[in-house]
Amino acid sequence: MNITVMVGDMRTGRNGDLLVTHALGSCLGLMVFDPVAQVGGLLHAMLPLSSINPEKAKANPAMFVDTGVPLLFKALYAMGAVKERLTVKAAGCGNPMGKNEIFKIGERNYTVLRKLLWKNTILLKAENVGGTASRTIHFEVDSGTVWLSSNGTKGPL
Amino acid sequence: MSASSRGDQIGKRIAAFPAMSGVALDLLALAGSPVVTVQQIEGLLKRDPGLTANLLKLANSAYFGLPSKVGSVHQAVMLLGLKRLAQMVVAACTSAMLGSGVPGYELPEGELWRHSLAVSVAARGLARELKLDAADEIFTAGLLHDVGKLILGQFVKEAYPLIEREVALGLTFERAEERVLGVDHAAIGAQILCKWSLPENIVQAVRWHHAPEASERTDTMLDVVHVANMLCLMMGVGMGREGLCHEPSPVVTRRLGLEPFHLEKVASQTLQWASELSQSLAVA
Repeated sequence: MNITVMVGDMRTGRNGDLLVTHALGSCLGLMVFDPVAQVGGLLHAMLPLSSINPEKAKANPAMFVDTGVPLLFKALYAMGAVKERLTVKAAGCGNPMGKNEIFKIGERNYTVLRKLLWKNTILLKAENVGGTASRTIHFEVDSGTVWLSSNGTKGPL
Repeated sequence: MSASSRGDQIGKRIAAFPAMSGVALDLLALAGSPVVTVQQIEGLLKRDPGLTANLLKLANSAYFGLPSKVGSVHQAVMLLGLKRLAQMVVAACTSAMLGSGVPGYELPEGELWRHSLAVSVAARGLARELKLDAADEIFTAGLLHDVGKLILGQFVKEAYPLIEREVALGLTFERAEERVLGVDHAAIGAQILCKWSLPENIVQAVRWHHAPEASERTDTMLDVVHVANMLCLMMGVGMGREGLCHEPSPVVTRRLGLEPFHLEKVASQTLQWASELSQSLAVA
């Protein structure tokens, strides 16, 4: 089944599902896969910290990296995933051109992700982050392959 | 294609671009007048029942959160105020036009409309968050800022490899458009709005939405639309082939007193605001 993950959303899938998310700009796309349990999940988080809008975070934790990442991992554990088997890949976190720090939401998203993963001793297997390109992800949950489309080209991440 | 024949073709497309509804234009003009009666507004809108129906749907959308259901133009004027009502009429008139897919920028059907609405509500939200006194027309300026893409898209598509080469050299996308095509989508948008006889402050905000520092006059509305547009692209709303190849102005950032938390707070609410409004118009 094709499952589209909208901005500020997290969805999981099982063997045979395809998780798709479009137009990652400064948002973080995080793809997590357990090859044995054959489960995977995709988070499309928009902003780094839930403290900016706690009410929103309560209603929709997937909007923020600090609440969305734990949500994704917990959902996969509940489906039988085991931490040691997980492969984790990140995409997105782009920034506009120039040096204007205020607009570097993508960079802040990435920093919060790295801190969270480091605290939980989880390594990123692959990443394609930063820059100005728009990115689209197709994540095949049976093989675990993550296809990244950007600037008219498509390849595995 | 030679530069002059391309210029001619673009000029022809602008001349042939659909006209704005006369009712909307009359209403915008009335909205700026100090002496106007509800009866005049009702009289105007009677000329276009379809538009009135769309207007009432918008007024009843969750975005405005009005306490009671709006059933008449009279009530809508009372509850929203004339200026806001005029902005909603423009939205109701342009939704179908902005709902089409845009080649070149690779925006699928509905995406430019989604972007336009998101920029409108984000601009209003930013003005509120920054406690700024921006003109009421900010909603319309946000809504129409990319209307030039509807004409330029085809030309961008044909010249894409050349534009891409300029971008790879470090130019922003709109500068690359100008370098390769002789004009950018903001300038074309301003020409369309001039043709529609929209108020000058809206035309200027559209003209300089990527380069607010180049405008002769500083205008808070222009600055806020510039920021709102960047923010919505970063969220991926209406971000097409050009990605994030735009540069937010440091001068505007300083002028507005903009901080990361302003941007992020507004970003956390924009998609909800936009969907509340778009559901009531249901384009694409």
